[in-house]
Amino acid sequence: MFQSFRHAATWVHTWFGLVLGFVLVVVFFFGSLSVFDREIDRWAIPESRFEPQPMPSFDKVLRPVFDTMQPMKESVDAMRGKVDGPMPERFDTVRSWSAYTTHRDPVLLLWASYEVPGAQDPHDRVWGNRTIDPRSGKVFPDDQLKIGSQFFYPLHYGLTLEWQDLGAWIVGFAGLVMLVALISGVVMHRKLFREYFTFRPTRNIQRSVLDLHNMTGVLALPFHFFFAFTGLLIFAGHYFPVTHTQLEPLHELHEKIEEQQTGLPQDRAGVPAPLASVDAMVAEARRRWTAKGMAGEVGLVSANHVGDVNGYVSVWRAGTDRIANVSDGIHFKASTGEVLYEEPPLTAVGSVGNFLIGLHLQHFRHWLLRWFYVLGGLMGTVCLATGLIFFVEKRKKQHAKAGGQSRRVVDALAVSTITGMLVATMSILVANRLLPEALPSGWPPRGDMERYVFWGGWALAMIHAFVRSAPVAMDRLNPAWHEQCWAVAIMAVAAMLLNWITTGDHLLRTIGAGYWPVAGVDLSLLVTAGLAVLSARRLGRKALAAMPVPRGGTAHA
Amino acid sequence: MRTNAFNRGEHVALAARILLAVLGGYACCWGVVALFAAATFALGAEFHDGETLGSILALLLYPAAFLWAFAARRLWLAGTVLVGSGALMAGTASLIQSVLT
Repeated sequence: MFQSFRHAATWVHTWFGLVLGFVLVVVFFFGSLSVFDREIDRWAIPESRFEPQPMPSFDKVLRPVFDTMQPMKESVDAMRGKVDGPMPERFDTVRSWSAYTTHRDPVLLLWASYEVPGAQDPHDRVWGNRTIDPRSGKVFPDDQLKIGSQFFYPLHYGLTLEWQDLGAWIVGFAGLVMLVALISGVVMHRKLFREYFTFRPTRNIQRSVLDLHNMTGVLALPFHFFFAFTGLLIFAGHYFPVTHTQLEPLHELHEKIEEQQTGLPQDRAGVPAPLASVDAMVAEARRRWTAKGMAGEVGLVSANHVGDVNGYVSVWRAGTDRIANVSDGIHFKASTGEVLYEEPPLTAVGSVGNFLIGLHLQHFRHWLLRWFYVLGGLMGTVCLATGLIFFVEKRKKQHAKAGGQSRRVVDALAVSTITGMLVATMSILVANRLLPEALPSGWPPRGDMERYVFWGGWALAMIHAFVRSAPVAMDRLNPAWHEQCWAVAIMAVAAMLLNWITTGDHLLRTIGAGYWPVAGVDLSLLVTAGLAVLSARRLGRKALAAMPVPRGGTAHA
Repeated sequence: MRTNAFNRGEHVALAARILLAVLGGYACCWGVVALFAAATFALGAEFHDGETLGSILALLLYPAAFLWAFAARRLWLAGTVLVGSGALMAGTASLIQSVLT
């Protein structure tokens, strides 16, 4: 059906690229922002603007908070229908308490999971979380949205579509298509190295858009391939749940053997026992790391089967100076503090897996590489966006002749996805600074309001793009392109100014104090505004230049 | 290639290729993950190592299988190889499991 491999590759690249390109733009853009998710969190929650903190004392700071925790309502609601008998009011059987921190976290996120009496699947848990100031143990309000790590980051890997994990599956399929598009893209363009150096920004839109598509695609090809691949690998167990379906019995056998080898119990014994000093266990873990010549901070600490004689505490070393998120775990008997098991050196395969995943998640310290991630991610975004625009531009002329309207739709979708996504991003930042700290009673939680503004802003941008799309049918530029660029520029500056007005943290102060998380976000907003103005002016000129085409005339610009 | 040049029969063939690329590729990759997990376990290696190794290979194989489903001259051959190998590998994994558990 295709005359050659190259024809097949071209068809796959064009059509799968078009359909999933819209998703991939979102994944790449919010992935780029997620590289600085913690810093965006600082910008969004002014009370959390202080220096990163080490893991605090478990006994004095964490334990009192854990003791008061209960699962979230959402998590309990999700369990309804999966329980025989009534759902309990309180959950007191703790499966695990855990806290994870990195070298970029001032605030600490605590997680607690609880066993559910009468659960049809005994592996099911309900979850709760809480954010604290590790210096004092003060709890941050639950309705504060960490825009970076709790919104942009989940958008990156799951589009925040949680129903049946639909978002994660869509992103997974898009990731596969990204790999396919990269391979088929190379097959399509045999003159790879010439295109590497070709950029004709002054030629017509179609030509310069294609040049930019090829340049950003080829220049960052290894980056794009690596991140699409490792992104899929992180979720491989989710996309291929082999060991929890077909090979479930084998997995259980493995867990039993592992339990015998490590001495770490899978289940509670049902015999109550107290929790000994976790601080003493942490001190012992640090002593052992130092003895191995790798002194370090605690990255992850977790207490399992709390209150039971089978309870154990795991302490993991932070990966600040390693690729892997955490390493060198040491496990202690919860009731006595004796060492049960020390993680052996990783196997070759384990090291490779940790390396690939760790390099994607980048919880280690390397600021230059971190900026390269942003650059690579934005190049990917540009590559995908220009691919979508090229699709429209290439077909606009012939469809204008034939009188088709379908390119109008694709073009309006491209506007919605590209500039609309920026409008939405700016909307949530502006809303974050404009909404009052305490909303009137009866309103949704503040964090939810911010999300609604994000999606509302995006929906408005989409409506605007469709309303303004008529010129596309006549082979002209949709004015929504430059109008939305202006909107982005104005909102970016507004967000920066609002941060100044509402918190007093203007750029001179944050740069002067060397508080880069907030200064960096503000500076990025200004750069975004500058680029948006440049684009708006250029696109505006193009739209005008194409204006005076007489109906039915042949003088296309 | 002019995509609007497809005729009715070719549309059916194209739909079949899309299905084969997505589902056939998935079946084949599932088999790889299952076989690696079960086989490494049987050989006494770390269970999750087999799963990781299988996943890495499967995710590299998937895009290639995907493209092949469109490029293959004979659709039935690509279908047989992808789905057949997937079923064979998954079956072997289940067989290993039934021996071990």
